[in-house]
Amino acid sequence: MGNFFPRWSNWLPLKLGIAVVFIAIGVSIGVAYYSTPKYTRVGYEPTQPVPFSHKIHAGQLGLDCRYCHSFGEVSSHSNVPTNQTCFNCHGQGKGGIRATSPKLELVQKANATGQSIPWIKVHKAPDYVYFNHSAHLNRGISCVACHGKVNEMEVVRHDQPQSMGWCLDCHRNPEKNLRPLDFVTNLNYQPADLNRADFYKGLLDKKVPAAEIAEVIGGEGAKADGLDAIVSLAEKTFGKNVTQKEVGTQLKKHWQIQPPENCTACHR
Amino acid sequence: MKRNWIHPEEPQNAKRYWRSVSELERREDFLKNLGREFPAGDTLTEEERENGRRDFLKIMGASVGLMGLASCRRPLTTIQPYTQHLEWMVPGKPLLYATTMPRSGGATPLVVTTHEGRPTHITGNPLHPLGGGVDTFAQASVLDLYDPERSQKPLGKGKALSWDKANELLAAAADEAKKSSGASLGIVIGATTSPTYLRLLGEVKAAFPQAKLFQYEATGGEGPSAANKEVLGAGVKPFLKLGSAMRILSLDCDFLGLDQVAGEPVSQFTKHRAKEDKVSQADMNRLYVLENRYTLTGGMADHRKALAASYIPAAAALILAELGDSSAKALADTAPAGLRDWIAPAVRDLIDNKGKSVVLAGSRYGAEVHAIVAAINNALGAYGSTIELLQEAPKPEIGGFAELQATLSGGQIKTLVSLTPASLFYDAPDAAGLAKAVSEKKVNLIHVGMLTNETATKAALHIPASHYLESWGDARSADGTYSIVQPMIAPLYDTASKIEVLLALLGRKKLGPAEKPAEGAAPVEDAAYTAVRDTFAAVAGGLDETKWNLTLRDGFLKASAYAKASASVNTAAVAGVLAKGKGSPAPTDEAMEVVLVPDSSVFDGRYTNNAWLQEAPDPVTKLTWDNAAWIGSVTFRKLGLKDGQHIKISVGGASIEIPAIEAPGHASNSITIPLGYGQKGVGVVGGDRGVDAYVLRKDAGSFVLGGAKVEALDTIAELAITQEQNTMEGRAVYREGTLETFNKDTHFAQKTGMDSHIPENISFYKGQVGVKSAENPAGFDYETKHQWGMVIDLSKCIGCTACIVACQSENNIPVVGKDQVRKGRVMQWIRMDRYFAVARTGSRKNADGTVGVEQETTWAIDNPTPEQLENAEMVHQPMACQQCEAAPCETVCPVNATVHTDDGLNAMAYNRCIGTRYCANNCPYTARRFNWFDYNKRNPLIDTKVAGVIKVNNLYAGPLGEKKEDESLRLQRNPNVTVRMRGVIEKCTYCVQRLESAKILQKQVQRDSKNFRVPTDTVKTACQQSCPADAIVFGDLADKKSAVVKAKASPRDYQVLKYIGTRPRTSYLARLRNPNPNMPGAKDIAAWSKNHY
Repeated sequence: MGNFFPRWSNWLPLKLGIAVVFIAIGVSIGVAYYSTPKYTRVGYEPTQPVPFSHKIHAGQLGLDCRYCHSFGEVSSHSNVPTNQTCFNCHGQGKGGIRATSPKLELVQKANATGQSIPWIKVHKAPDYVYFNHSAHLNRGISCVACHGKVNEMEVVRHDQPQSMGWCLDCHRNPEKNLRPLDFVTNLNYQPADLNRADFYKGLLDKKVPAAEIAEVIGGEGAKADGLDAIVSLAEKTFGKNVTQKEVGTQLKKHWQIQPPENCTACHR
Repeated sequence: MKRNWIHPEEPQNAKRYWRSVSELERREDFLKNLGREFPAGDTLTEEERENGRRDFLKIMGASVGLMGLASCRRPLTTIQPYTQHLEWMVPGKPLLYATTMPRSGGATPLVVTTHEGRPTHITGNPLHPLGGGVDTFAQASVLDLYDPERSQKPLGKGKALSWDKANELLAAAADEAKKSSGASLGIVIGATTSPTYLRLLGEVKAAFPQAKLFQYEATGGEGPSAANKEVLGAGVKPFLKLGSAMRILSLDCDFLGLDQVAGEPVSQFTKHRAKEDKVSQADMNRLYVLENRYTLTGGMADHRKALAASYIPAAAALILAELGDSSAKALADTAPAGLRDWIAPAVRDLIDNKGKSVVLAGSRYGAEVHAIVAAINNALGAYGSTIELLQEAPKPEIGGFAELQATLSGGQIKTLVSLTPASLFYDAPDAAGLAKAVSEKKVNLIHVGMLTNETATKAALHIPASHYLESWGDARSADGTYSIVQPMIAPLYDTASKIEVLLALLGRKKLGPAEKPAEGAAPVEDAAYTAVRDTFAAVAGGLDETKWNLTLRDGFLKASAYAKASASVNTAAVAGVLAKGKGSPAPTDEAMEVVLVPDSSVFDGRYTNNAWLQEAPDPVTKLTWDNAAWIGSVTFRKLGLKDGQHIKISVGGASIEIPAIEAPGHASNSITIPLGYGQKGVGVVGGDRGVDAYVLRKDAGSFVLGGAKVEALDTIAELAITQEQNTMEGRAVYREGTLETFNKDTHFAQKTGMDSHIPENISFYKGQVGVKSAENPAGFDYETKHQWGMVIDLSKCIGCTACIVACQSENNIPVVGKDQVRKGRVMQWIRMDRYFAVARTGSRKNADGTVGVEQETTWAIDNPTPEQLENAEMVHQPMACQQCEAAPCETVCPVNATVHTDDGLNAMAYNRCIGTRYCANNCPYTARRFNWFDYNKRNPLIDTKVAGVIKVNNLYAGPLGEKKEDESLRLQRNPNVTVRMRGVIEKCTYCVQRLESAKILQKQVQRDSKNFRVPTDTVKTACQQSCPADAIVFGDLADKKSAVVKAKASPRDYQVLKYIGTRPRTSYLARLRNPNPNMPGAKDIAAWSKNHY
């Protein structure tokens, strides 16, 4: 009996097997990246009907986010401003700033007809997800944590994946994003900008025992009896500048930040 | 390993609770479906089975073609902000308005939740003096607003008219009437207490001095008002003080249900039912009921006797005779034998509690019964103590229905304006004759209403009416408190309120779409708004803006109740009224009585197009989407009927064919038929459902008809009755006892059945909760979180199903339609289980003839006789997800879609559910519901023609069916609850959306502080909020101050199926009854098994 299969075919199953493994890995990586919100959502940057620039308003002019998105702290929904808000500055007979600019044509028209401007939705949670702005803004999560540095965006861009895994990352480790309430709408905030003594004084003023603060900084057994001792302990532990870990762990402990991980927290 | 629970045998010497006679007698059709989650496929008709397979293939073929069309691009959605700031409007936050639902008997004070301007949910107004829970009708009325089939355009003889034309016709009618100074004008109104409405009617009367006013309500008997006028005096209104009445005897008066008795809310009655500690019989109220059929009131009774309605006048006379007044002796002598044995001890009890007792009679009875009852109450010293006499505001003179008929046939009237919520051509006595008179005498009928019913389509002019949530108005509640009706949404369609129609008649308003004011002109104030403000100014003594705004905020004007009347009972007038009454013959086999009653779903027919109400099971029969003749067991079996079998009922000339159902607790030779069904043309929800029983009635006052002949027909109707669905398989889940039992052992309910054998719960977990130790390294303390729990007090629950509708409204629960209900697919999260019970008789025998306990012989005891069934007790038990701590559903979910949260909820993540239904199968409480179809997107009530030929129910048409969410119904949805799709399980969540928003609100307030516990008892579930009886307590078990902790500490607290160890978070408080030991059969009432086994 002759050899039906040539010699090289002996290696074929192994070659195929290896190829399949590589292809499978490649496909998995591809799907994991290209079919998840990390790719499908991040970078979405639709052209809006009115060329409103967050960079100018929030960045250059330094308007607070809440000037326009006024109900984020009290409602689940952070509202898109009414026409009247635009007209506080751009309206005829008020500020009148660039009132006749062609960029504002749609705004002027909306004012005259009552037809609202159809802004294109950038951040869209699925119908079965109930996100609540007020629960986050009042508890030290900044706008920037989910929306990125909007003050540097000419056109609003989807900055974070906002997927369930991404939400849970933060719900499990909230200290990575917590900041003092005064800085929640300060998009340029860096922990290093904080004055360490002021930060700890704020906590002490809220009747947090010094011993507990020290324990958070230095772990179990660490002791400090006053502001100065706390500051020096923190300097020893975290270095000269205030770090995110330092702020986050303190706030998590003393504000009792326990982000829910139950299904019902977001799905009802 | 599968754990197979052998459920313990029921105690044989105790009462058995059953939902249907089939269950009681273990009939084959019941046993066949027992233990099945859904009844078998035999709900399909022969034809459906035949066509099912072929249709399926055709439809599937077509749908494959359509599949490719769906694409998966990211949908472009827009955010459209308001252009102007709106006061109080915060997107994402609900806004509450206090308002009032005008009712025929008065007004229901409400708080309405609106989301971005859309009213979505209704609750009672707790600030109002008569506030509290609400009934099903008020709860469901929000759906009427969005009814896609409500009348939206003016009609002339059934054809659409423009508003210009309608205004023209109205103006012409007014001009015409002016010429005869009103002699040719007649106006029919419903029972109303609205001061503005009555004031405008007075003004119409002034402008058209000869015009005639009539009042007509389809089911509002004229007896009570006629008797009151004679005996108490004109304008004197009795107001029942339920909270002060410790002994109540009701003569077929469903004051807890459908009889709208002016009085304190139901919660004032139930507060005397629940006892947590030993009390004497005098400290718990006692209710005696005589009625021909079961009502909610009968279910709450301590002593109830089924008595044909024809005997009620005699029973009233007998009571009067027992009190020593022989003026109605002749009538009393017609009472059936044995009735006195029942009435005498009851009356003795009433006399012993003089000043704390009251007798009530149903509104369907004539003036003579009400006059006797007034004399009885006078003798009992009820006036001034349990009945307050109030002086009503003066009203213009209004005639009754008989006057309307006479005037119409007299031919004086040329224009008849119908403002009554009744539908004259459908529900009026001799409606055909009325329609004939209208057409023969060339009467211009102007009809105002929300439905395109028979009257609307036949009227010369039909004006679509506004809903009360979109119009200005006012009303006086039962005690006379001035309550405001304020709009919270602009009319969805161009409609007009009744006040606006009157204003149009007076020439002060043009109906139809509001005209835009001319450029620069001052905006014109709405005429209805001005009219209401004018009335308010008159009532409040001057238009004080602060007072007005407070009234708008609170929903009522403080201290505006009617003054107490200085009237006294004119006993001399009683004899006169009595003489005018006509006796009713005793019902016999050959000449039965027919009792026409308002329906629990459609009332008198006005709510017929409300799908929530149609699908809410009747509290007594559990029938949905239909009406049927209720017949007591004795008569039912004598006639040899089957459930649902058609019968022909003939009463003097008129006859109807209607399905019959066997009703335990129903008097013999008596037939009860709920009214309001069989209307034509109202829409897919209410159109052509059930049978119109109004045709049997002769005049406006007759609801008890004698001399009925009954004939069995061959056909059997397909009724959708839910009583055997989701059964608890006969397990002892209901616990009750008498006050005597309770006083002997307050913890009796916790020792009933298996509960006395369950060993103490020994925890495996060591260490102290909340303290770090070697055994508890995380220091876990479950009490730092909220721990939600619920208690339902069966002593208070009256079984009215308001909770079901409230839940439906709050949680976006779809309506599934009659076919699906028949298949056991009803979606309501709360199930109002209704059980009947009779004392056991007979002995159990084993197969070998010995008497003993053996599993197989459980059901072999004698069935109760039909006579016993006639006096069966009726109890209600609301059942929803019990939020078990050791939930059987969670362990079987393959995808973790139902899991436990750390605040003790049995959570359901819809988007994770793949629909295996294992959880529903494993739920011992059968509390889970499955979405067999996209009920929210596909209208289950219509038929679709697939490919132009095959006619199937829309649900079964697949992608070729109508898949369009109705725009207007969408507006009602609660935005905080997911609208579920096909293929997922759903169930009660304890209104998790409310819990979460309460927690978030607390975080908003506290910010960087520490106290994140929701303030005690501030969060309420929808069912709790709606409960008119205050039977539901909900709260945080970890908060020791909360009401739910107190309720759980009650000795009556028990868990359903405790022995299987699911540790439910919902528990029940056993029901207490307060029987009078001197009454016949007192020993059998709520007999509780003392023999544990």
